Amino acid sequence: MDDSDEALMARVARGDEVAYRLLSRRHVPAMLGLARRILGNAADAEDVAQEAMLRVWTHAPRWQPLAAFRTWLTRIVVNLCLDRKRRAPWVDLDAAGDIVDPTPDAGEQAEQSERVRLVAQATAELPARQRTAIVLTYGDGMSNAQVAEILDTTVSAVETLLVRAKQNLRRALESVIDKDKAG
Amino acid sequence: MTNEPLPHFLDGALRRITQEKPVEQAAINRVLARLSPPLPRQKTPLWQMPSVLLNWEFAPAWPRMVALAACAVLGFYVGIAGLDRRFDQIDARFASASRADLGSIVFEPESLTGARP
Repeated sequence: MDDSDEALMARVARGDEVAYRLLSRRHVPAMLGLARRILGNAADAEDVAQEAMLRVWTHAPRWQPLAAFRTWLTRIVVNLCLDRKRRAPWVDLDAAGDIVDPTPDAGEQAEQSERVRLVAQATAELPARQRTAIVLTYGDGMSNAQVAEILDTTVSAVETLLVRAKQNLRRALESVIDKDKAG
Repeated sequence: MTNEPLPHFLDGALRRITQEKPVEQAAINRVLARLSPPLPRQKTPLWQMPSVLLNWEFAPAWPRMVALAACAVLGFYVGIAGLDRRFDQIDARFASASRADLGSIVFEPESLTGARP
């Protein structure tokens, strides 16, 4: 039996709960991870992942396979995250607390952790769309065209978002960058 | 607006921060548990309504519906055209109206003042 996303969606559109469960098991982990990276909050990310999958169920009869299912679902998750960010801005300061580089010595390691923490803080303070563009581009390795499709905008708008995000990061991390250049 | 490349450490840090990290199974299970039945009703587009009615075994009998609609339309036109009256009476009302009413409005003098229209 064809168990591609599109075939499963066709079954979900006819009210098949087994197909829906398969689809959920397949995509919930990735969507949960994406929502966490955009929102920086585990509890909110769970709510978003649940809401996104419920929308998949309720809107399945209207779904047209014009784009890949994964792209459609990612767009739902991103839109829900942006809505949530708009309602209640949330800043995650602990995002990079557990990142450790195994090679350098203890002092250098601590310095790197501190740098990463500062970058995480600056990234968390970016406007929601800029942060989303950064997450999709750097984290998921998506092309600008893919990001544009998910954010429902043009490629040039995505390029602008990324440039502004980098400008904002550079501004926020001026002292760290200067130190890096000097060192 | 400049698009200088990011410093090396910043580029690397961004990749680390935003890279996909494994999500713990407990969180996945929580979300999946919340998605278990009963699920909400699906939104069906209007153009799929006949198939939904068929699924409910509530299928409209289209030929009968067409016949009913045709009867309704025919009845409306019969009512409008006055075909339910006797053939020799159809024009009677209009004829008397044109003789008495229109003539009095147009030609007869006003009873109190005697003014003509």
